[in-house]
Amino acid sequence: MTDRRPGAGPNRMMLRRTLFLLSVCGIAAFIVLAAKLYDIQIVHHDEYEAAAIAQQVRETTVSAARGTIYDRNGLILAMSAGVDTIYISPAEIERGGEDAEAIAEGLSEILGVDYDTILRRAQNTKSWYEVVARKVEPEVSERVREFKAEGGYTGIKIEADTKRYYPFGSLASHVIGFVGLENTGLGGIEARYDELLSGENGYVLRSTTAAGTDMLYSSYEDYVDAEDGQSLCLTIDSTIQYYVEKHLAQAVEDYDIQNGAAAICMEVDTGAILAMASLGNFDLNDYQTISAEAEAEISGIAQSEEEYNELYALAQQQQWRNKAISDTYEPGSTFKIITLAMALEEGVVSETSSFYCGGSMNVIGRGTPLKCWKYGGHGSQTLTQAVQHSCNVAFVNIGQLVGEEKFYEYAEAFGFIDRTQDTSKQLTARTGIDLGGESGSIWWSEDVFCNPENLSQLAAASFGQTFNITPIQLITAVSACVNGGNLMRPYLVQSVEDSEGNVVSRTEPELVRKVISEETSAAVRGILEQVVGDQKEGTGHNAYVAGYRIGGKTGTSTKTTEEIAGNKEYIVSFIGFAPADDPQIAILVLLDDPSSESGIYISGGQMAAPVVGKMMADILPYLGVKPEYTDTELETIDRAVPELTGLGIAEAQRALTEAGFKARVIGEGDTVSDQLPGAGAVIASGSEVILYAGQEPAPTTETMPDLRGLSYAEAVERLGAIGVYLSAGNGVTDAGSQIVSGQSIAPGASVEHGTVVDVTLYLNDTSMLGIY
Amino acid sequence: MEYTGERIGIGAAATEAVKERRGGLDLPFLALTLTLLTIGVVMVLSASYARAYFSAATEHNAAYYFMRQLGFALAGVAAMYVFSLMPMQFYRRWSLALLLAAIGLLAVVPFIGVPQGDAKRWINLGFTTFQPSEIAKIAVILYFAALICKFRGRMSTIKYGILPFAAVLLVIVALLVLEPHFSGAIIILAIGAVMLFLGGVRLYWFVGALAVGAVGLGVVITFFPYASGRITTWLDPFANTSGDGYQIIQSLYAIGSGGLFGLGLGQGRQKYLYLPEEHNDFIFPVVCEELGFAGAMLILLLFALLIIRGYWLAMHMRDRYSFLVTAGITTLLAIQVFLNVAVVTNLVPCTGISLPFFSYGGTALMIQLAEMGIVLSAARDIPAKI
Repeated sequence: MTDRRPGAGPNRMMLRRTLFLLSVCGIAAFIVLAAKLYDIQIVHHDEYEAAAIAQQVRETTVSAARGTIYDRNGLILAMSAGVDTIYISPAEIERGGEDAEAIAEGLSEILGVDYDTILRRAQNTKSWYEVVARKVEPEVSERVREFKAEGGYTGIKIEADTKRYYPFGSLASHVIGFVGLENTGLGGIEARYDELLSGENGYVLRSTTAAGTDMLYSSYEDYVDAEDGQSLCLTIDSTIQYYVEKHLAQAVEDYDIQNGAAAICMEVDTGAILAMASLGNFDLNDYQTISAEAEAEISGIAQSEEEYNELYALAQQQQWRNKAISDTYEPGSTFKIITLAMALEEGVVSETSSFYCGGSMNVIGRGTPLKCWKYGGHGSQTLTQAVQHSCNVAFVNIGQLVGEEKFYEYAEAFGFIDRTQDTSKQLTARTGIDLGGESGSIWWSEDVFCNPENLSQLAAASFGQTFNITPIQLITAVSACVNGGNLMRPYLVQSVEDSEGNVVSRTEPELVRKVISEETSAAVRGILEQVVGDQKEGTGHNAYVAGYRIGGKTGTSTKTTEEIAGNKEYIVSFIGFAPADDPQIAILVLLDDPSSESGIYISGGQMAAPVVGKMMADILPYLGVKPEYTDTELETIDRAVPELTGLGIAEAQRALTEAGFKARVIGEGDTVSDQLPGAGAVIASGSEVILYAGQEPAPTTETMPDLRGLSYAEAVERLGAIGVYLSAGNGVTDAGSQIVSGQSIAPGASVEHGTVVDVTLYLNDTSMLGIY
Repeated sequence: MEYTGERIGIGAAATEAVKERRGGLDLPFLALTLTLLTIGVVMVLSASYARAYFSAATEHNAAYYFMRQLGFALAGVAAMYVFSLMPMQFYRRWSLALLLAAIGLLAVVPFIGVPQGDAKRWINLGFTTFQPSEIAKIAVILYFAALICKFRGRMSTIKYGILPFAAVLLVIVALLVLEPHFSGAIIILAIGAVMLFLGGVRLYWFVGALAVGAVGLGVVITFFPYASGRITTWLDPFANTSGDGYQIIQSLYAIGSGGLFGLGLGQGRQKYLYLPEEHNDFIFPVVCEELGFAGAMLILLLFALLIIRGYWLAMHMRDRYSFLVTAGITTLLAIQVFLNVAVVTNLVPCTGISLPFFSYGGTALMIQLAEMGIVLSAARDIPAKI
């Protein structure tokens, strides 16, 4: 190297400088790059990877099918069916160069959604998900699918969803409940069992390109299958529920009930709920809409749209409220069953005990004498009579015989008090029914109630006042009184099935505790049967149904909380059970604030008892309970009209007489060409059936007369004259005295010949007017 | 070594003799080049098939870019061999003509160039496009080397060592700024400075030039919103994830996702239209994502070895022109590799610089291979392969 000529090759300086470049460009620079890459790839690997995956992976939910709700006979009360959500991906519309206006126009036409709304969403080009319409029926989404295919619009997306259908509309609406837009249960069984019903959603994770399409060799995919929800079989019997709602609704109309009504039908031995109704009810398929009357009322009050919306929301809350478990009230005289049961169990009274009612009595700790509802008093009465009369004075005596301490213990044993709860003020107890929204009772604390210096609480509690309980608590306790003494836990879900229909679990009736003995229970049943069965002395006789043994108790209470300026509001109620010797079912009917304008004396016996009677008349035959009629009953019960057409006149007349009807022949022919009413119509015995002999029946319509206030006999006569027939649900005991309080077809309505109108009767015996 | 030294540089007759009996190809340099080229072409396939598949311009042919790149690579290897056969005298003789041609092309680009954004840097040849700045780079190396040899012994003077070179650079940089093509201008300036540095210009000139450069950069950043925006994005790309920061963020996601061993060749996900320029300037992030830190290190090591081998060859040249050209081409390669990787890792502000042997681009690849051919030609003159 020493021999290098000047300039031939690189000189020493050049070599030095080259070495410098080599160390900078060939070594140092790469060390810098390596360090930077190490920082990105190793040190910050996790966060960059997470961010990259977040943008590459899209998650699609696979909806789990929501379980079905059945009634006890397998009828579907709630079911889910597939619908679709239509959405657009504005980002894809933009990238694909698709015509947003054409898309908006097409979708607007098919879905009925405003064109401008869709277009505005479509122009939000940063978005991948803009919903156009939810819960779209399959036929409609099929048209969307066609439109998408024809136009090649990849920006239109269709996503599967489910919609809840309630085949019976408003039937048992408060029990079943409903689901919101996101398929989450928002009320009733749907909410209480939401987790079971909804199952577990699955999802699909897939990696997509920045354009939203699948990667060519999708290197990232995950699929978790949806787990379908389980189905529920309720204890509710749709038929019984229907009867209960029908008669309850009739009562609401007949008595112009202001604040709703509730009814519960319970299987007394198990605590299973056969029916539970709360009026006004609502269509589960359209649960957001309030009734037309409620809407009209709001429109009248609201000053602004804001106020209207507020009131509307309140009205919705009101209509969704299940009175049967959420509202508390003073039970009044129906509670005397409990007082009676504890007194008999303790042996402090017997069926031979006698009580004297002078119209009022003094109570320790109470300033003024306590008055019986009957002015002048009931005089001397047996225990049974005291119950029949619903005598307050007698029951205060019975309560005192039991004693405050025992009374309190029994009230707890029957499920009205729970001393394990906060004892400071309100001793809230609940039945624990498997339904959301159950309220707790409100009772005196032990120190206040069990004070020998002041027995006024005991006195009032003895006839069901100064404490609040829920309807479900009362019927559960009364069931225990008549079923042999077993306090059962009320329940609604009978069994749970998986999506294949296999039974996963079955509810066994749960005995909470044994409260009274079988003997005591039998005595209670016997006495309560006298309340309904004794036409002379029983305050509950309006619940009578021919052929059946029904026991029960009336109740009327003042709503102390809502007493406004002398205008008292009442809750009238009746709790009945049947058959009285071996009870299967109990029914509680509660009517909140009947209007005084109906002309009927406001009391449980006059208003609520007939409703329970009519329910029993429908439900007991449905349950297969055989009626046993007395000879007098056979003359008044409803019967089915036989098939007579084609028979000879004489033969037809004979058949009618045998069936307990009268006959009227129109025309000159020898054979029956037509009859009125038609075969199978169930009408009161003794009604006149028209036989057409060769003459065509005139297709006349008649105007329904107002039957209210007429006696049953008068009503039969009035209607017979115009070819319309009556049915009183076997509640006729005294056709001359029983008065019509309600009718199933409103006065003034147009009716055809042969129509059967259902009437409610009550015995207007003023000596029996028990408001308690 | 001494007898070969005698032979070199003794007139035309001897030159002819040497030409006839030139040495073979430098195997380490050739092997490294071909290895990098092979990996590069494979990576073009992996990086580009998603874009090609989803693009109407390529008629959804996933192999579109790959096939073209493969064709240019084969042509480029042939060119490299042809260029390696040419004597260095040939390059020296034609260097001025090449430089003038480059300047001429740069001068017409603003008029006939293919618009790309606000800039015109490309000339369309019908079957492909190419950047005249690529030719300008090698022309500067070849011509400066020739001039440095010519001004031997006078390079420390202003008149010979600075002014002629500065004039050439000024013309070229002016034309590049006109396009505008700042990254090209920076590389030309850098390579020009390196040639002068090797040629023996006094060091304080570089101190001065660096100072001037720093001030100039400051002026550009302050007064060109285009440039200042780049700086802002560089400092905090996540400030605007869907706008200016998008490209660099996607690049970081790709590189970061790779981890130590990567997702596997072909398994990258960022190339699915997330990462822009994934088979051009931003092909290295795909390499990092699929081959991981280990693969990226291996490729950088191959580049480093190639560069070191280039300098090593330069230092053993018996001829000053060959030395200058070899060192210049090697440095140009090093600058491009460094800047490209530095850009995609957000080490420096974003600017368009391709990665030699990897980035898709037919003429650029061919020119790079031709440059390697020139180095191989110079290396033939090293008497004994060491």
